[in-house]
Order: sequence, then structure tokens, then C-alpha cells
Amino acid sequence: MRPAGEMVRIASGFHADISIVKDDLSVNGKSIIALITLAAESGSSITIRAEGEDATEAVDALVNIVERNFGEDE
Amino acid sequence: MKIQPVSIRELSGRKDLRLSAANGIIGAEKEISNSEINRPGLALAGFTGRFTPNRIQILGETEYTYLASLSAEARVAASEHVLSFGVPCVIITKTLQPPRELLEVADKYGTAVLITELTTDEFLRSLAEFLEPHFAPRESVHATLVDVYGIGLLVTGRSGIGKSETALDLVERGHRLVADDLVSVYRMRQGVLMGGGNEQMQHYMEIRGIGIIDVPSLFGIRSIRIRKRVEVVIRLEEWDSKSVYERVGIEEQTTTILGVELPYVVLPIVPGKNLTVVAEVIALNHLLKVVGKNSAAELNDRLIEAMRKSTANSIYDREDFE
Repeated sequence: MRPAGEMVRIASGFHADISIVKDDLSVNGKSIIALITLAAESGSSITIRAEGEDATEAVDALVNIVERNFGEDE
Repeated sequence: MKIQPVSIRELSGRKDLRLSAANGIIGAEKEISNSEINRPGLALAGFTGRFTPNRIQILGETEYTYLASLSAEARVAASEHVLSFGVPCVIITKTLQPPRELLEVADKYGTAVLITELTTDEFLRSLAEFLEPHFAPRESVHATLVDVYGIGLLVTGRSGIGKSETALDLVERGHRLVADDLVSVYRMRQGVLMGGGNEQMQHYMEIRGIGIIDVPSLFGIRSIRIRKRVEVVIRLEEWDSKSVYERVGIEEQTTTILGVELPYVVLPIVPGKNLTVVAEVIALNHLLKVVGKNSAAELNDRLIEAMRKSTANSIYDREDFE
């Protein structure tokens, strides 16, 4: 659950509409409830999509946190 | 979202359908991919034009009696007519025992023959209850669904605008939460839109500043609902002085979800405005319209009537004074 919280926290800092897609379910990246529903287990693959003025920065920031394994390795 | 087919194994495992297999585990992996059924009476008799082989085939008492009236040889031929199409399964109602010839032909084609304790009518209804929502067109929407006085209000709006807080306030006032933040909607027959949630997360809510809360634990079992018809869509928006908001309410705005047209209310958010009460009024106003009373339209009619009367009087007066 913590990684979901982390993603929502970062996503909420942007104006862009962010959606996280897993399999064929697409949910709002700023909603913790929706992200938990997505139940992306560690190791599964997700698509991050953003639309809006700061979309590129938003995707970069989210990809970054996922790649750093939500800071758990640090 | 992609629609998952239903396997015969899954179908026969449904307690409410009261099914048992007549020929063991044969054909359990076959799949059904639509909710329609077929009564293969004509096919049994030999007419296979326009036969629908991808549907569940249901044999009721009529078909059963027909098969029983045939010679053993003719029964094989009749069974072949239906089963040679590779139908997903054959279901016999009212615990009628399938003829040996039918079972032999079913084994040959690897098709399950199931027996239900229900009558044909009961079975068809239970089957529709299970399959229709399963195969209905559906999508996930970022919204909150609350039952307010029996009216399903789907609250939409951008993240952080206060959908969950509005819902929480409504729940606190005795209304019922269906799902927060992620509502799975599906279209039933005749343009009815149903909404529900994901089993694990359905009655949890995120309240900014607190975190995740469990609604039925806090507010009791009466505070939740598993699913609800969606009746009105509300959109919460920041107040925008350039936007035009509905002030009269004679013309109803609508929005379309999955092809179902629904009344649509855009609510501007202003500090000090009690959204909960407004939401309750939207629900009550919708109820009034359901029973045939449209407040705005009635006021309009009364004003027109009053104007018409006053015009009639003034003509009368003018005539007198010439």
C-alpha cells in the first residue's frame, strides 16, 4: 500500500490528468483507492499516461519513483 | 474493459442455478461469450436454418417430451442436429433425466449436459441475472456513487475537488455509499446504468488529511450498498465566473455514459456552500420529476397563466375607456 501512497502523493503535485493502466483497467493516478484496486503487485507492468500542461514532468517523476522502487532500496 | 467469457465449469458451480452434470466432467472448459440462450426445438426436429450454435441450449419439458416420443434411432439423429454444431452446453430443466442417446452424442462432441432442478422459467431468469451483468458493456469511471433517498447520484469532478468529502457528509446524514473514487458502471438492458465497486476496495474511502477509512465499520452496515442504479450525474467544478450555470431548471442537461442518457447537473463550488444539502435537493427534485412534478416547469406555467389573465383584463378595461 505504501508504494501506492507514494505514487498518489507525487501525481497529486501535478496539474495534468494522470492515469495508470494495468491490463485493460485504467484508473486515476491521483486516487489511492483506485490505485490499490489496480493491485499492481511488485513486478507487474503498468502504463503511466498523463495529459495537460505539466504532463511530461509528471510522467518523468512517476517513472523515476517506480524505477527507484519507491525509495525502498535507499 | 475486456469481457471475460464464462466457462461451463464456472456456470455449473453457481449455487443459484442448481446445476449438476449428467455426463461427468466432459466439456467443462468450453466457454460462453454472450448472455443469450436458445431453445433448440426446431433444430431437434431437423430444421437447422438460422441455428445459433454459440448459445447455451436449453431443453425444457416440451423438447424433452418430443425426444421421448422418438425412436432410439431418431433420438440420435435429433441430438446430432443440435450437438454437431459444437454448442457450449446443453441444459435440461426440472431434473428431467437426459435420454441415453443424447448423452452418447454429447460425449462424442465433448459437450457437457447439465441438469437443473429449476423449471425452465425459473432457470432462464436466474441465468439472465447472472449472465446479463457479466456480459454487459462496462467501464470504470473516476467518480463517487451514493444512494441519496433511493436516487443513485454519481458525483464526478477532478481529483481533490471534494467528491469523497461530499459523499462522507451524505453518509453521515444517513445516505448510503456504493463506491468511492472508482465506480464500475455497466449497462443493463433498456438503457439502465448500474454502478458498483471493486470487492476489496468498494467501501473504503480516502479522506485527505486522514487517510483511508472503512465506511461500514465507522457508520454501520446501513451506510453502504453493493450496487445501485445511476440516476443523476453531478459534476463538481471550481466556480468560474465566465461559466454559465443553470439558474431556472426548465431545460434539463444530460450526459451520456455507455450510451445511457442521464440528467446532468454541474455544481460550482464556492466557500460556504453546503454541497450535501444541494445533493439531497437534487435527489428530491429528481424524485418529484419521477412522480410527475417539475417545479420549474410548473412555476413557468403559472407565470404564463397570470400574464394571460392580466392581458385579458387590460383589453376589457381599454374597451370600456375606448
